[in-house]
Amino acid sequence: MADEQKPEGSPAPPPSGGEAASPMGKPATPAPKPAVPKPAAAAHAAPPKPPAVMLTTPWESDITELLKEHFGGDITEFSTYLGQSFLVAKPDAVIAILDTLKLDLDFDYLVDVTAVDYPKRADRFDLVYILYSFARNERIRVKTVIPDGYTPATAVTVHLTANWLEREVFDMFGIQFAGHPDMRRILLPEEWQGYPLRKDYGILQQDDGWVRENLGIESGQ
Amino acid sequence: MIAKLLRKVFLVDLFQGLWVTFRNQDPKRIYTEQYPAERPKVGERYRGAPRLNINPDNGETLCISCNLCALACPENLIVVTSQRNEQTKRKELTTFTYDTSRCMFCGLCEDACPVDALELTQDFELASYTRDGAIWDRQMLEEGPKPTQYKC
Amino acid sequence: MPEATFLDATELVINMGPQHPSTHGVLRVILKLDGEKVNGTECVIGYLHRGVEKIGENRTYQQFAPYVDRMDYVASVSNGLGYCLAVEKLLNIEAPPRAQAVRVILTELNRIASHLLWLGTHALDIGAITPVFYCLREREEVLKIFENYCGARLTTHAFRIGGLQYETYDGFEEEVKKFCDWFIPKVDEYEELLTNNRIWMGRLKGVGVLSAEECKEYGVTGPVLRAAGVQWDLRKAQPYSGYEQYEFDIPTGENGDTYDRYTVRMEEMRQATRIVRQAVDRIPSGPIMGKVPKVVKPPVGEVYVAIEAPKGELGYFIVSDNSTQPYRMRVRPPSFVNLQALDCMVRGGLVADVVAIIGTLDIVLGEVDR
Repeated sequence: MADEQKPEGSPAPPPSGGEAASPMGKPATPAPKPAVPKPAAAAHAAPPKPPAVMLTTPWESDITELLKEHFGGDITEFSTYLGQSFLVAKPDAVIAILDTLKLDLDFDYLVDVTAVDYPKRADRFDLVYILYSFARNERIRVKTVIPDGYTPATAVTVHLTANWLEREVFDMFGIQFAGHPDMRRILLPEEWQGYPLRKDYGILQQDDGWVRENLGIESGQ
Repeated sequence: MIAKLLRKVFLVDLFQGLWVTFRNQDPKRIYTEQYPAERPKVGERYRGAPRLNINPDNGETLCISCNLCALACPENLIVVTSQRNEQTKRKELTTFTYDTSRCMFCGLCEDACPVDALELTQDFELASYTRDGAIWDRQMLEEGPKPTQYKC
Repeated sequence: MPEATFLDATELVINMGPQHPSTHGVLRVILKLDGEKVNGTECVIGYLHRGVEKIGENRTYQQFAPYVDRMDYVASVSNGLGYCLAVEKLLNIEAPPRAQAVRVILTELNRIASHLLWLGTHALDIGAITPVFYCLREREEVLKIFENYCGARLTTHAFRIGGLQYETYDGFEEEVKKFCDWFIPKVDEYEELLTNNRIWMGRLKGVGVLSAEECKEYGVTGPVLRAAGVQWDLRKAQPYSGYEQYEFDIPTGENGDTYDRYTVRMEEMRQATRIVRQAVDRIPSGPIMGKVPKVVKPPVGEVYVAIEAPKGELGYFIVSDNSTQPYRMRVRPPSFVNLQALDCMVRGGLVADVVAIIGTLDIVLGEVDR
């Protein structure tokens, strides 16, 4: 119900756009043309299959202009969702983007580094950097999509905050960061096997196993 | 300048702090509650021991076995079993198990109950000597915990 | 790990272990000492890691709210506020004005309670044993108000997604006003005890200096950043839940040392009382719960919402996939990021200063480890 109320922009390229992409043509124009998307909308109205996507609107500002100049094709998407802007970039360009954002655009405070696991995708992890600028009072997100086993470059060279935040991402997801001064587990003991926040790490079987071994009773879960 | 030196030499700031401490020595303003001699008065909405309420008129349980409390619980520690009464065509409660050892007393079950049968009362003395003693069955839930009273 | 064998006579590696009265929880700090001077530290955390983010992926949105209180267990109302605001943003709804006013009152009372506990334990670490009794006595009054409102003192679960569960009880406004009037002279009392005390000043002035640039580098927020001179508060910069209606000042310090953090937090307690007084005088009437569906299924998307918790910027990054359970629940803990700066602040100081600095950062291990 909240879906229909949101301002519809051109849906971002990924999955469900695939089916509807051909009748709609390139989503270059931001204004939705009422006639053409109708068949697409009808296909969406009773969707047995297309997975729901985030209904974003494209984002344009001086930040995007400057970044487009410097990075061009490395940034694949500039979008806004619920008033929060983010950009999706290629993994190799992320550190350069963070550097530009810090030096030229005053985004000097790295709020958070985190990751999201989508096991069914080929590029499994979504690495998210949240940045804030004191001068502009604005927050943006820099996202990148990386496969399992890829080691992105560390952001410690740009922001010192990233030290422990990246260690936590490694601890929880197993994403190693190249060039990090101290790549070790931070929250879990050193000898822990497995990466808990991955989707294939069962939460209940861990509890059952440990409780059975150590307490000798069945876990109540 | 001289005032500062005098204040420093005669420890004025330290005596100021000591004066605050001496002010608070009035025995009429002792704040400590003498438990267990006087039981603290907890608030009306206090989330303490769970209780299954009974209809005061006919002595039957108010619970209608809708299972909403079990679905609302984040820890899945309520187990409600019921059987169908053929005459009234309604569900009747048979057993109700509540595991207080894992309960976080969040109150979600109390909020979910549509008939105010499950309620978190003001009892906070829930200790037991065994792990199994913390798993309450229907009888314990209806009567409530009976902690030992100490008379001082 | 610090590389030093016991044959190396100049440097001593000492463990300030997880069980220590001054580390405010289970924090292990490995100190590299040269006599009494600290050359470097290393923090080992994770003793209180409970996997809250993983639990979040396996509970519905309403069921997850009690878990959120248990992260920063000292200021659980703030945690609840941040979480409810984040989910409400995902659902694109807003709580009604009455709910927002009561939320502000309870959150500011919680800020006072958190700072009182900070003051008591910090003074206790430094060696002043009296303030902890007085601070906890004041804190009792705040906790009594919470108990009368929602039924629990510490892990309150006070707010629900979309508004409030409980209507304010009879006598809520009077009790809150009485508390405010009773509390301000107490803050003056603490200032009398501590602020001009030569021992206090000697222990705190010049200790643990963190300049504004270093704060921004390390991502440190909250009173630590404000004590370094940066006048930045999320309640003013990006107001939420009706904070724009209330007048209050943002206290800042000059030097960024431990004494400035003390004065900043004392002043914050006074400003919080000011906000509570304004809010309680004009609580609007109306519904307390917005239009929230019974089954909360936000549309696909992700959102990051941050609030000014007593310890710093507390942020919730929630990714939803249109099911009843969040797909990813990330909590950005202020204490975790602030604790990184410990190494930088401690170098060159003495061992006793380590205790003072851990206290002044105001960390809660429940939040550091989640």
